[in-house]
Amino acid sequence: MTVVSPLGYRFPGGTYTIAHWENWLLTDCTTAEPLPDDLAHPVALFHVPILGAGTSITTLFEVCGAEGPGSVGLDGYDWEYMRPLRIGVEYRMEGGIVRWEQLVDERGNPYDSMSFSIEMFDAEGLAARITNTWRFRRRKPEGVTGATS
Amino acid sequence: MKVGDQLPEFVVPSVDPARMKTMAAVLRDPYRVHWDREATREMGLEGRVINQGPLNLSYIVNMLHSYSGPTSVRRLTVTFGQPVFDTDSVVAGGEISAIDSDRATCAVWLKRGDEIVVSGTAVIDVAHLH
Repeated sequence: MTVVSPLGYRFPGGTYTIAHWENWLLTDCTTAEPLPDDLAHPVALFHVPILGAGTSITTLFEVCGAEGPGSVGLDGYDWEYMRPLRIGVEYRMEGGIVRWEQLVDERGNPYDSMSFSIEMFDAEGLAARITNTWRFRRRKPEGVTGATS
Repeated sequence: MKVGDQLPEFVVPSVDPARMKTMAAVLRDPYRVHWDREATREMGLEGRVINQGPLNLSYIVNMLHSYSGPTSVRRLTVTFGQPVFDTDSVVAGGEISAIDSDRATCAVWLKRGDEIVVSGTAVIDVAHLH
């Protein structure tokens, strides 16, 4: 499957306020106790930028041509916190897809590597910044032989 | 505190598939491999669901919090090597690799037995630990 490169795709942008309930559930999923002083668990820096930027995992899968179970993999995250995230603070987000490469894994299977970056602002300025890299595995074209996953 | 110090481990004795379902709802994550055993049967994984990457990373964050406190994390740069499945036992660990004024850089990892499934670096604020 060949997907039109989404490089340069910009997210609509928007705002997001972490709710007490979602942070409580998120923190419980990590097997930890809630943090004090309205601190949000740092791992909120996965879904908060995505949703706050006006996109979603569903949209990213569509834009990048995800092909079903097993077709999407995580390669890496780079998350920067200028200060701790807090419940009840309105964050403004902007970002987009900043990298798209057609690659082949060590078994000869084709995949597209996609990175998106989002910056997150509060009233003081830049509060956090993320770059996530995901892998979209592709089926080999017919007639191509070699190892498969 | 010095370079080479080991951080206290954070142990998850058995990764809980119920928590993956809740996490999928919080993240609005439609990827079936985290909550639908049929999806992973289709992949030849015998129906074991796959833990979300952010949850794997969260165990490393919890390990860092137990060492340097809940406001200390400044940067996380990680690579996901292998998937973690429900009922897996995993251990997050780390080691201080550099100290620069009020910041420490740590090598961090998540292991399943001897296998490293997540690895990378973390920068933490250690001003209050001096």
